[in-house]
Amino acid sequence: LSGENLAKKTISLPISRVRLIMKSSPDVSSINQDALFLTTKATELFVQHLALSSFNNGCGKETNSLSYSDLAKTAEESETFHFLTDILPKKILARDYLKSLEQMQEEDADF
Amino acid sequence: MDGDSSTTDTSQLGITGEYMASGQYVLQPQDEDGEESMNDHEEGGAKENYREQDIYLPIANVARIMKNAVPQTGKIAKDAKECVQECVSEFISFITSEASERCHQEKRKTINGEDILFAMSTLGFDMYVDPLKLYLQKFREAMKGEKGIAGVPVGEGLTEELTDDFTNPLPAGIITADGQQQNVMVYTTSYQQIPTVQQIQFS
Repeated sequence: LSGENLAKKTISLPISRVRLIMKSSPDVSSINQDALFLTTKATELFVQHLALSSFNNGCGKETNSLSYSDLAKTAEESETFHFLTDILPKKILARDYLKSLEQMQEEDADF
Repeated sequence: MDGDSSTTDTSQLGITGEYMASGQYVLQPQDEDGEESMNDHEEGGAKENYREQDIYLPIANVARIMKNAVPQTGKIAKDAKECVQECVSEFISFITSEASERCHQEKRKTINGEDILFAMSTLGFDMYVDPLKLYLQKFREAMKGEKGIAGVPVGEGLTEELTDDFTNPLPAGIITADGQQQNVMVYTTSYQQIPTVQQIQFS
């Protein structure tokens, strides 16, 4: 337990929550202390990395702000962050979506 | 690390059936987070009704790290914070499944540090590995120091001392997206202080 107290002082994320997320993966039985510490620390690095990359690569630099579309763009264009594309779909305008939906329905009607 | 399984099996609970009143007893895992809600997408989200895939790290912590990573005057949209919150859970699961797979392949049951580092390397986060090894080393040294002091309870004094140790700048290698090695100073944080992460070049 004292090891966790020590880890808490050095990391700005709650370790117990990280453990919970790890354990929600299938087939994970137990995780040793090093693994937990490393994962938590890596997560800090990941947040920094993702935020800054997205800020620099997206519209962020001109607008001086980080938006959802900056993140989506980075996920699509960066190999490292490509695993995020499923959860970061690029947002499309409603009218464009409805248009493509209409087109799909027209194609179906051709059968 | 202890398991956090809950059980209603009386034989495991070590009490005979006759002591169980009607209804079920469930042992709740010790949760150090206290009041923090699991899903911080809305304020004060309920802990009770969450799906496994909806477990996130607290948005305040995530937002703080983001804020300190971008230039000082930069702003971060609310949906960007929520988005990164989700990405984080995805990242953790991503690493964990890979590490778990390797663990199983080697017929082991416990995921260890090496599994995690290997997973990161395999999945394209090779640039984190060296800084992480340094952090781990410092962490272990501090732990050893703790054990060496016999008969002294781990109280305020000791943890304060160790906190100072960790808030010193820790030289760590790289982290640039283009793979170039640079020496950057990585400032670790204590849970209460505002992190001051500077000079990490992510381009």
